[in-house]
Amino acid sequence: MATEQSVDLVDDETVGLFTKAVLLAALTAALAQISIPLPGPLVPFSLQPFGMFFAGLLLGPLWGGVALLLYLLVGIAGAPVFSNGNAGIGYVIAGQGSGGFLVGFLVGAVVAGAIAHRSVAPKPVAALSAPVQVVALTAAVVVVYAIGIPWMWFVTGLPLTRAAAVMAPYIPLDLLKLGIAVAVVQGGYLNGR
Amino acid sequence: MLSYRPGSTFAHRLDPRSKLLVQFGLAIAAVAHPTLPWLVGTTAFALGTLAAARLSPLAVLRSYRVVLAVLALAPVVAGVALGPPWFRVDPALRSALHVGRILPVLLVSAAYLTSTPVRDTRAAVQRLIPGKPGQILGIGMALVVRLFPLVLADVREVRDAIHARGGEARPLRDRVRLLAVRSLERTLDRSDRLSAALRARCFAWNPTLPPLAFERRDYPVLAVGIALSVSPLVPV
Repeated sequence: MATEQSVDLVDDETVGLFTKAVLLAALTAALAQISIPLPGPLVPFSLQPFGMFFAGLLLGPLWGGVALLLYLLVGIAGAPVFSNGNAGIGYVIAGQGSGGFLVGFLVGAVVAGAIAHRSVAPKPVAALSAPVQVVALTAAVVVVYAIGIPWMWFVTGLPLTRAAAVMAPYIPLDLLKLGIAVAVVQGGYLNGR
Repeated sequence: MLSYRPGSTFAHRLDPRSKLLVQFGLAIAAVAHPTLPWLVGTTAFALGTLAAARLSPLAVLRSYRVVLAVLALAPVVAGVALGPPWFRVDPALRSALHVGRILPVLLVSAAYLTSTPVRDTRAAVQRLIPGKPGQILGIGMALVVRLFPLVLADVREVRDAIHARGGEARPLRDRVRLLAVRSLERTLDRSDRLSAALRARCFAWNPTLPPLAFERRDYPVLAVGIALSVSPLVPV
C-alpha cells in the first residue's frame, strides 16, 4: 500500500529565527577575523564577543545558543572561522592558550538570552530595558571567564590565580564591548528586528 | 592554514563519524593521565593518524606555530616567581607536561581537517543527532559555510568605508559602534532575504519528496508534453 506523507513546513517564525541564527553564526565568524590594533603593548581589540552579545539579545537562549553552536560546529568541521582563520577541534580545546573562551561564548549567549528574555521565545529587542541588557551581557561576560579561566588552568597547568592574572587585561576591553553593544540597542538601530 | 585537501589516503576513505569518534576519544585519552609515558603513547598514536592522512608532522607543526608559540609561554609564566629564586622548575615542568598533552590533540585534529570535507562532517552531524535538532544543525552548518565569505566581505567593506572617511582618527568606541551597527544591519538584511528564499522554497522538516509513480492516465499527457517539446522541429 502506498503511503502518503504530507509536507511538514517549518513555520514562518522558526524560519526567521533559524536564518538569524545562521547569519549571526556567520557574523561571529567574520568578526573573529577582524581586530582593531591598539597603541603600544595593548592586545588587539577583538570584535568576536559581539557575536555572543547580539545572538543572546536578538535570539534568546535557544536560538542564540544554536547560533554559537553552529559557529563551533562549522569550525570543528574545518571551515576557517576561528581567530586568524584557524579551525578544528584542536583549536577549540587549545586555542591560543584560551580555547575555553569559544565554549564560553556558546554558554554566554544562552545565559544572556535567558536573562534578557526570560523565556525560550525571544521578545523584540526594543522591548528589553537597558538595565536588563546590562545584567544579561555582564552575566555572559562572567560566564565566559568562569569557563575560560579554569579551562586555561586545565590546558596549560597554570595555577588558577595566574591564569586569571593573564586574562585580567581583557576584562576592561570586554566591558567596553558590553557598553557598545548596549549603546547599539539603545540607539534604536535594531528596532523592528 | 589547515584545510581539506582532496586525496585517497586511508584517512580520506574513512567514514567521518568514525574519524570524529577517534578525535573525541583521543582528546579524552590525552588529558586523562598527565604522565610522560602516556604523553609519548598518545603522541605516537597521533603521528600514526598523520601517516594515515599522508601529512608531514613538520608541516602540521608549522601550521600550528602561533598556537604552539603561545602555549609554550605557559611553562615560563608558571615558573616565574616574584622573589628568589625568581624561577621555579617544578611548576614549569608540570605546566610543560599539561601543554604537551595538547599536542596529540592538535595533530589528530589536523589529520581530520585535511582528510574530511566540511560537507561530510555536516552529514555526520545530521545523522548522529536525530530529528529536528539534527536537521537544523546540518542545514545550518551548510548555510553558515556558504554565507561566511559573504558576511566577512560585508564586514571588511564596512571597515574599509570607515577608514576611507577618516574613521581611524575617531575614538575607538565610535569606530567599533559604527562597525558593529553597519555589519549587523547588513547581516540581518541578509537574514531577511534568506528567510524569504527558504519560505518561497517550502522549507520543510521532511524535505524528502513523496514517491512519484506514473499512472495510466499520465501517459497520454506525457506524450502531449513530448510532442509539444519537439514541435519546433516540425516544418510548418
